[in-house]
Amino acid sequence: MTIFNRISNYWLCQIAGWSFVGLSYVFFAYTFGRKLSSVLFMRIILVVSIGILITHLLRWLIRQLNWLLQPIEKVLPKLLLAIIIASLTCSLLFVQLSEFFNLSDASSKLNFSSRLLATTMDIGLFIVPWVLIYYFYHYITKSRKQQLDTLKLEALVKELELKTIKSHINPHFIFNALNSIRALIDENPPRARNAITELSNILRSSMQTEKSETVPFEKELDIVKDYLALEHIRFEDRLQIEYQIDEDTLDQPVPPMMLQTLVENAIKHGIGKQEKGGMVKVISDFKGNYHELIVQNSGFLNGHINGDGFGLSSTKNRLHLLFGEKANFEITQYNNIVEAKVLIPIEQNKVT
Amino acid sequence: MIRAIIIDDERLARNELKKLLMEFPEIEVISEAANASEGVEQIENLNPELIFLDIQMPGKTGFDMLGELDKTPHVIFTTAYDEYALKAFDVNALDYLVKPVEPKRLADAIQKLHLQEEREPNQAQNLNINRSILSEQDQVFVKDGERCWFVKLSDIRLFESVGNYAKVYFGPNKPLILKSLNALEERLDEKTFFRANRKHIVNLRLIDKVEPYFNGGLLLEMKGGEKIEVSRRQTVKFKEMMSL
Repeated sequence: MTIFNRISNYWLCQIAGWSFVGLSYVFFAYTFGRKLSSVLFMRIILVVSIGILITHLLRWLIRQLNWLLQPIEKVLPKLLLAIIIASLTCSLLFVQLSEFFNLSDASSKLNFSSRLLATTMDIGLFIVPWVLIYYFYHYITKSRKQQLDTLKLEALVKELELKTIKSHINPHFIFNALNSIRALIDENPPRARNAITELSNILRSSMQTEKSETVPFEKELDIVKDYLALEHIRFEDRLQIEYQIDEDTLDQPVPPMMLQTLVENAIKHGIGKQEKGGMVKVISDFKGNYHELIVQNSGFLNGHINGDGFGLSSTKNRLHLLFGEKANFEITQYNNIVEAKVLIPIEQNKVT
Repeated sequence: MIRAIIIDDERLARNELKKLLMEFPEIEVISEAANASEGVEQIENLNPELIFLDIQMPGKTGFDMLGELDKTPHVIFTTAYDEYALKAFDVNALDYLVKPVEPKRLADAIQKLHLQEEREPNQAQNLNINRSILSEQDQVFVKDGERCWFVKLSDIRLFESVGNYAKVYFGPNKPLILKSLNALEERLDEKTFFRANRKHIVNLRLIDKVEPYFNGGLLLEMKGGEKIEVSRRQTVKFKEMMSL
């Protein structure tokens, strides 16, 4: 279908363009008060048919040599040469044929070479715009196609990104938790039973998130609580956990496993790096038109904060994908607290 | 009896390992450490034959800790899941256990240790003779990017000074360690390791050829093909030693 379209488009332009040339000849002849003889019409028809023939050959050449795909600065000299040769061929044909058919302009008494030169210039004035239009048309189609491809690619990348972020759960955590639980089985059987439930909750939710783009905050918080409870078994009194949750925020939609990732980072880069351990605090509240989620941990940011690490850079991307550019994520340091803050605009449907 | 120390930041993980080790009466857990600095301190004080070492710990990692030791006891690594570390182990076939530890794997690791001990029966005695000088049977831990090794001093043919580092030549490898040549010279047994010049310490047992060189010096060709010039002053010493 496209090929057929393109061909007819080309011929449409070709015929329309050259008809315009023919008509303008007639128009000028008329305004300058020349006689509209049959010889004039025959000459015009001859010019138009030669024009169509030569430009069609020119197009064939451009396509054969792939000039459309080559960089413009490389093609330009070749193109100029081609235009000159085409114009020259046109005028040669025209001069010869008009003589052959005895259509030569009675008024012109110039010799052959001058006439050839004049006609070449004349015809060149049509061929140059022809090439420009041809290039312009292809340039537009190409860039539109490129734009479309880029959009398609972006959409694909977004989809893939969301998938990888969701399925991300740290195997190091799972095996450490299992090891702690095994030790607890003798030491504190009831706690060990709880721990198994907590771990199953986390595993289950990490598998379920494949299906939904957002979950109610309450559900996410439950997972985070289970997660921190398990980490508390590992770290014991080296980890203090605090929650400061506004109950009204529990229904807000949040991306699944995002808070979890932030808490995981707080443990990994904050508590896990300090011999004496520290504190992790989870805050959820409304602030203006935003739902504000904060994870604090004692510790220090090391130099590379901006988007370093899979968790942090993906968090920002993910928020923008789901809630648009208004959503924000930042990570800051004050005193000896590292704070990761997420702002999600409320009452706004997710970006489709 | 093998005296062992468990180094892991998690109390429960240490308990679990101790419990598993009760099946092996020949292993005596003499102490525990919860981080790398405690670990270094206890290894230097108690001089165990074996350590169980967790890799990911707060502060310094298990690898960092080994880098600080002059000589390392036998090491069995324990780790929950650490692709990076596991890769390093697989390359060099170092012994490691993944947590939760499978009793069968632990038994294998201990069995391997016994075999190693049989092959070098004199090591246990060596350890206590002179602790500031390293014997040929002592091993050092060397890490270079993703790869790491335990190398017996007897396998090292050459130390080369590179700025603040020393390049250690053994087999086809030559990783860098953060130690000065002078510091190394103090700890090495001078019967085996000889300071050939300002930049090189050679293992006398791994010299292939000795040739006379300019200015009354010597040119040593090591088993690995490296050619090392012996300074004039050291040549005198070298000849004295070799004529004994």
